[in-house]
Amino acid sequence: MNADSTPVRVWDLPTRIFHWSLATSFVIAFATAESEKLRDIHVLAGYAMAGLIAFRILWGFVGGGHARFADFLPTPTTVIDYLKSLLGGKPQHYVGHNPAGAVAVFLLLGFGITAAASGYATYNEFGGDFMEEVHEAAANGMMAMVGIHLAGVVVSSWLHGENLVKAMITGRKHIRHENPAG
Amino acid sequence: MRKLFIIAALLAAAGARAETPRDFLTRFEKEAGSAASAERGARFFNSKQGGEWSCASCHTDKPTQAGRHARTDKPIAALAPVANAERFTDAAKVDKWFRRNCNDTVNRLCSAQEKADVMAWLLTLK
Repeated sequence: MNADSTPVRVWDLPTRIFHWSLATSFVIAFATAESEKLRDIHVLAGYAMAGLIAFRILWGFVGGGHARFADFLPTPTTVIDYLKSLLGGKPQHYVGHNPAGAVAVFLLLGFGITAAASGYATYNEFGGDFMEEVHEAAANGMMAMVGIHLAGVVVSSWLHGENLVKAMITGRKHIRHENPAG
Repeated sequence: MRKLFIIAALLAAAGARAETPRDFLTRFEKEAGSAASAERGARFFNSKQGGEWSCASCHTDKPTQAGRHARTDKPIAALAPVANAERFTDAAKVDKWFRRNCNDTVNRLCSAQEKADVMAWLLTLK
């Protein structure tokens, strides 16, 4: 550990379990999307995702610390300032979600709700072709957020010299004292 | 503005131009480079091709009737164009479901010849 770094608890256990469970169920649902043989697994993964997102929304209000939506609710100003600092090569450092990441989080949750609802509708045969299109678009939206998220993890880990993957496993970050913003 | 509107409407109309089942038979025959055989199509449709399922596992061997999903048991609308006017009228849908269902039944994409044969057989059904 660096002498000038402090270990901080960032992600509580429910948030971490939610994160990896959502990632797993999304990967399973995406991988089984095209197969009728695996349709039951796809539907199960979808229900799991819906349940997990319902929990996360609740946790966003009743959970603590950086899990709370109020902790990372992005505003146009914070997002623009953050993106400017990123382009300037000196990104503001947030212990929890940075504003750009927060936008992706809310979009991911929105796409997730849409995918689950339209998937349920399609599976139960109401909404027709339109619902099917919505379902596929929402799932692709989620995949786009995952792509941005993974890129963000790599870039952020590198720029701030912290292992964000490890932080989502152990819940702890070693914070260097640099350009703090939140 | 009005001109733009008309152009957009024309483009939308062109894009939405519905295909007919015969168009798909023609297309697949052209891609295959040889004529379709309804008899071969019937055999292909009704027997397993190395996988766990045949086409008939869900669509039954009488695709003029409704089928049943082999995994979820949900009803599947009749596949034969004579029984269901919506079938084979949308290229994106046809390509999507051939891709998915061929992977489920023959564990690969179907050849143009196989698709042409199945189309030919479906079109003979009364």
